[in-house]
Amino acid sequence: MSAYVEECRQEWKRLGVPELLAEEMATELESDLAEAQADGVSATEILGESDPRRFAATWASERGLVAEPPPQPRRRRRWIWIVVGLVALFLVAVIVAIIGLFAAASVSVQTSVSSPQPVQAFALPNLVGLKACHARRIALRAGLKVQAIPRSRCHAVVVGQTPVQGTKFPFRQRKRITVTLRPRG
Amino acid sequence: MRRMASESRRSQMLRGVLDLCLLAVVVDEPAYGYEMTRRLRERGLSTVGEGSIYPLLGRLEREGLVATHRAASEGGPPRKYYRASSTGRRALAEGVRAWRDVRGEVDSVLRTIEAGVV
Repeated sequence: MSAYVEECRQEWKRLGVPELLAEEMATELESDLAEAQADGVSATEILGESDPRRFAATWASERGLVAEPPPQPRRRRRWIWIVVGLVALFLVAVIVAIIGLFAAASVSVQTSVSSPQPVQAFALPNLVGLKACHARRIALRAGLKVQAIPRSRCHAVVVGQTPVQGTKFPFRQRKRITVTLRPRG
Repeated sequence: MRRMASESRRSQMLRGVLDLCLLAVVVDEPAYGYEMTRRLRERGLSTVGEGSIYPLLGRLEREGLVATHRAASEGGPPRKYYRASSTGRRALAEGVRAWRDVRGEVDSVLRTIEAGVV
């Protein structure tokens, strides 16, 4: 048991417990353990199953002799939580990045001009900034052949078109127009 | 496994009232650490469990609930004696009331178990 008390002494020294008070606690503990031993009472019954350094730190902390209690197991646990938190943060960041990539990925809907209305030249209308279905209606009204747009993409916004608005095509010339959609939100 | 769980529960329940038990054993007569353990045992509280009484005594001392002095013991080195201070006595009285209230409430809930409902 003297080894136990000695470890307590070392821990108090490490924690900066005033020497006089550390010695007082060590003496108190030593005397009690000696008396318990004489009574046939096990040290475990007096001290519990605690690790001497943890015990010493807790005692000093409870007495208000150290500023910050250093309960080692708790600190270990805190590290585990920090690591778990960082891993979780990393996973969330990866998931958000993947979702972002998918969201930013342009959805292309191809339209084509085959045979516009009987006009000498055809000027391409502006489709940028319109919702996909709205843009399709305008394109149809302008006499373009437009591929069907899936209903789920109806609210996607046209963010680009090639060729740009106002580009003119000779009558009856086949020309492919590509618009780029971005999912709404 | 079940025994360990049972001991853990007992330890947790004791943790909330052990300070009262310590105050109770030094309210009339001062005692040093081991003597307090002995008094607890004599009154039926055989195992203090994890952590021992010393950190708790340290807290009681810091909060002024116990007063301490050093005095010679029988045939041994001078010992540190603890005695409930007036603040400690008031805290003990309040704590005992709170304990009895809680015990009564819990007993009311658990009475169905004793009646053999489960």
